[in-house]
Amino acid sequence: MIDASPTVTVESVLSAAVRAGPGTSPPLQSAGEAVRSALLSLPARLWLALGVVVLAAFLGYLVVRVNRRILVGAGVPETIEGTAFERTAREFGTSTVSLVANLSGYFIFILGLIVALTIARVEYIAAFWNRTAGFLPSLFLAVLVLIVGLVVGDKVELLIDERLRGVKLPQAGIVPAVAKWSVVFIAVLIALGQIGVDTAALVVLLGTYGFALVLFGGLAFRDLLASGAAGFYLLLEQPYSIGDRVRIGDTDGVVQEVNVFVTHVESDGAEYVVPNRQAFTEGVVRVRE
Amino acid sequence: MTSSADLLADLAADVDGVFLFSPTGSTYEDYREVDGESVVVVAPENDHDADRYVELPLEFDNVRDRIRFGVEGAMDHGFCADGDVLACAVGVFGDPIDAVIRTPVTESMHSGIYDLFANSRADPSVVRDVFDVAIELGKKGQKGKPVGALFVVGDAGKVMNKSRPLSYNPFEKSHVHVGDPIVNVMLKEFSRLDGAFVISDSGKIVSAYRYLEPGAEGVDIPKGLGARHMAGGAITRDTNAIAIVLSESDGLVRAFKRGQLILELDPEEY
Repeated sequence: MIDASPTVTVESVLSAAVRAGPGTSPPLQSAGEAVRSALLSLPARLWLALGVVVLAAFLGYLVVRVNRRILVGAGVPETIEGTAFERTAREFGTSTVSLVANLSGYFIFILGLIVALTIARVEYIAAFWNRTAGFLPSLFLAVLVLIVGLVVGDKVELLIDERLRGVKLPQAGIVPAVAKWSVVFIAVLIALGQIGVDTAALVVLLGTYGFALVLFGGLAFRDLLASGAAGFYLLLEQPYSIGDRVRIGDTDGVVQEVNVFVTHVESDGAEYVVPNRQAFTEGVVRVRE
Repeated sequence: MTSSADLLADLAADVDGVFLFSPTGSTYEDYREVDGESVVVVAPENDHDADRYVELPLEFDNVRDRIRFGVEGAMDHGFCADGDVLACAVGVFGDPIDAVIRTPVTESMHSGIYDLFANSRADPSVVRDVFDVAIELGKKGQKGKPVGALFVVGDAGKVMNKSRPLSYNPFEKSHVHVGDPIVNVMLKEFSRLDGAFVISDSGKIVSAYRYLEPGAEGVDIPKGLGARHMAGGAITRDTNAIAIVLSESDGLVRAFKRGQLILELDPEEY
């Protein structure tokens, strides 16, 4: 009964306008009166819905502004400078920051729109929109995770690439790419999980990948890790320091440098680079004259 | 009738190579298209991916030092050889190139200034960082008063064995490297301590407060320099270290290697 009323009023307004149009003496006045009466005949619920939409638009705008401020204040634009995602965004005349900020704004606006539709009791649409409204937060989160994942993946690729630039080895180029797609893969996994897609198979894939990484990484870096662990002790405790005369195994000389993985020991005409692991397994002799 | 431009062109005629000091991108592109002559870029960073490139660790304010460094570096890389004549395009008064200097390459101009940075035991970046610290210290002094300082860089193990502590080492069990942002402030505070700073090949500050005990015989440094310079010069003869000394009396930064004075800089010009 209430649903029908808006259409009726609109029709009456239209007919009033049509009637007023060709009329002669007071067309403006009668039209204004007709509009006023039409507006007055609108139910309060519609006004409320309209108010909600306006409020949502305002809130969305506010959130966009605040978000943008926060993101810029946190130094996000400088951090993600040069990533592929940011460059693509720039090509389309926008930027990652405004994309993310606008996304949250749209989210709030669409939520407000749904609330307004519910208040206005647009029956058939409401049933559909109510389900959408429940789905909306996870969709928003999924898109956010995806964007963050892409940006972080790009950033990881850039950072590793810069570190490896000194190594002029063509094969080293695969490492940054692998790192990037690992991050993106995990982000996609989380995003799909958010919107309720079954990701069991992908999780198994991730598990296998992680296991292989740990296993082979552990095998490959075994000595390095052992030396690194020993190196931390040596650096913290400094049982011997630069300038000491030491004997590690059968190397004998003056300590020139201690870092995380190796110790440089120098004797007359020879410099030994001794893995720190060796200092632990074979012990260190400090030679005093 | 010859114009002055023709006469000046003689300056760059029949040269074996052109050296560009810190050129802009377009300048380098222009020169690169000239074939027959080899272009060598001498700059702090290889922005234009030049094939023949010598890294300039410090923007030497003294043009002679800058050219020496570039030429010695190029000789080391094999870009030019003894007997070549070079045209060096440098900026004397400002950033853009405003002067052309014609110079022959001779073995005698080998002052060791390139050697000091590139072929010392310590990493070139460490040597540069120590220079930066010394120049900074020379410029500001401590609380406005001029200070002196002695940095012994590289071969720290041997230096430590040829020196003894004057007091407790403030850098014991610390992991401070020159080039860390805090170092400038720290060294400024510690520069009132007597004795030398010892810095390892990788830039770790091993010790302060060291009294150097090298044998000083046969060290040839200019007369008039004090005990600090003598100690710094002598330790570089006995070890493979280099010494970077900030003079308290005249405020200059001097570098020694193998007992020889290699480089003299005025901090006020940087």
